[in-house]
Amino acid sequence: MAETVLEAGNLVKHYPLTRGVVFRKQVGAVKAVDGVDFRLGRGETLGIVGESGCGKSTVAKMLVNLERPTAGSIRYKGEDITRLSGRALKAVRRNIQMVFQDPYTSLNPRMTVGDIIGEPYDIHPEVAPKGDRRRKVQELLDVVGLNPEYINRYPHQFSGGQRQRIGIARGLALRPEVIVADEPVSALDVSVQAQVINLMDRLQSEFDLAYIFIAHDLSIVRHISDRIGVMYLGRIVETGTDTEIYDHPTHPYTQALLSAVPVPDPEARERRERIILSGDVPSPTNIPSGCRFRTRCWKAQERCALEVPALAVPAWFAAGGGPAAHASACHFAAEKHVVP
Amino acid sequence: MLLEVRDLHVEFHTRDGVAQAVNGVSYGVEAGETLAVLGESGSGKSVTAQAVMGILDMPPGRITGGEVVFRGRDLLRLKEDERRRIRGAEMAMIFQDALSSLNPVLSVGDQLGEMFTVHRGMSRKDARAKAVELMDRVRIPAARERVRQYPHQFSGGMRQRIMIAMALALEPALIIADEPTTALDVTVQAQVMELLAELQREYRMGLILITHDLGVVADVADRIAVMYAGRIVESAPVHDIYKAPAHPYTRGLLDSIPRLDQKGRELYAIKGLPPNLMHIPPGCAFHPRCPLARDVCRTHEPPLYEVSGTRGSACHFWTECLNG
Repeated sequence: MAETVLEAGNLVKHYPLTRGVVFRKQVGAVKAVDGVDFRLGRGETLGIVGESGCGKSTVAKMLVNLERPTAGSIRYKGEDITRLSGRALKAVRRNIQMVFQDPYTSLNPRMTVGDIIGEPYDIHPEVAPKGDRRRKVQELLDVVGLNPEYINRYPHQFSGGQRQRIGIARGLALRPEVIVADEPVSALDVSVQAQVINLMDRLQSEFDLAYIFIAHDLSIVRHISDRIGVMYLGRIVETGTDTEIYDHPTHPYTQALLSAVPVPDPEARERRERIILSGDVPSPTNIPSGCRFRTRCWKAQERCALEVPALAVPAWFAAGGGPAAHASACHFAAEKHVVP
Repeated sequence: MLLEVRDLHVEFHTRDGVAQAVNGVSYGVEAGETLAVLGESGSGKSVTAQAVMGILDMPPGRITGGEVVFRGRDLLRLKEDERRRIRGAEMAMIFQDALSSLNPVLSVGDQLGEMFTVHRGMSRKDARAKAVELMDRVRIPAARERVRQYPHQFSGGMRQRIMIAMALALEPALIIADEPTTALDVTVQAQVMELLAELQREYRMGLILITHDLGVVADVADRIAVMYAGRIVESAPVHDIYKAPAHPYTRGLLDSIPRLDQKGRELYAIKGLPPNLMHIPPGCAFHPRCPLARDVCRTHEPPLYEVSGTRGSACHFWTECLNG
């Protein structure tokens, strides 16, 4: 495997719930992220999928230091960045940049495109000396497929897809090694999504970038990712390569998720087995004991309420599961073919 | 035919000019049938539906031509109070965003009950009982207790069920669902779509499903109408279109979506952007983005050519598209 650039160890983010104005006391916590581990190699893409409220965006925010973790570590090339501050932190942050979901609200409407893409250079002037900036920004515009002459235009003069290109150009400005992209294409029309995904693919090989690609759309995640982590209620419940997850899923939640994705093939309508989960995701303030998925799981037994299943390769899978053996946090993990 | 839209034209007058949102749309729905209207933002799919329902904002919108024939009557010629009697009772609409479509200061029971007090003249008590019954129908657990709750106390999926319950309340003959599951998570989307399809079968309603999601369409639709720049560019039974699209835009859409069942190579991307509705290109509106475009496409707007008895394509070169 490639050299590890980013590694999360038992990452936790709890938001305290307090009561009282004068005498504040903590009455509970929103457990947004509750113990997440992963590693990301150079030039690799790790996809994180999950439904709303599973904590995937909170993970993204912690990786770029917009949120401080409650516990756990984030190592960039071996160095724990959650303990850094001041100049050391600033230096590390240069290498981990973010692309946001909404290309409408993540660009300042009063700044020109040139100022938006060039702003990172104000913070890290060592990357581009003052006189060199305009040229650098125009280069970036060209790299993301926009006309370099548009440098003085404002965001509202661009379409959604073009704005996302601007957001990507800003993310590239400091030549980072890691880009954290939180739902980068979900606000775009289908025909434009493909353009942006192809662009991200191209930039990855051109600049040897590592991506953390966060999305709820499982088809897109498969397309772009080398490895995938499926999140549920603050934890990764299953992780593996794209083939392991999509063709050999073993966690009931992954199976339900995959079986629920509408597939653009009307012939599959009849032959496809649908796992329809009952109920809604429990509140992250009140996480079920044992396995957190058990309240919606059709396999749940007594043991699931008592013991927290560890994210590990199941023994039977490790022993004779063939090349598809991968980690799954389920006491009763078993393969089930759900993708037509 | 339960509903037939014929050559509908809608435009919007804005400060910057006139936007041609709908430019001669025709489609029909039978009882018990699901028609999917597929298109990207700005294709005119929602505006057409709003004109059918009679909820288009006028001004700035203006219907400049066409007919909307529902159960033998042209709705566009009816007076507003006649339309109001049809709306809700005979045709109903489900919107994408349940939270902003429901009234936040009324309990869901009051909102569901209102359908019966206003349209059927029921007492409040009977209407409340009906509301509980409806909530049971759409499988909201503990309906008797939850009928008193307010929209914000429900999850997104449950709120969308309440929207469905409200649309079903008076057992309309036609339901128009505008991106009903777009705001929901996939597992919840599956629950809601299944419920909608089941209720449609049971009541033999006509359903117009407006969506941009080719996956959802393949799951539930009988027929598809693909819209682009305010026109229908392809219309066909659902199986035909996925097997062999007869319009380059449809083909482009199908090729540009990543697949769940295979690791993709580079995705096909339709080049360029959808047109500005104030300056729709002459000839075929898709020609600046089309790989098959030739001179005739730049000057002559293609009619909806008949591909087969049940299929139409608005492409001069549809045979080429169909075969390759």
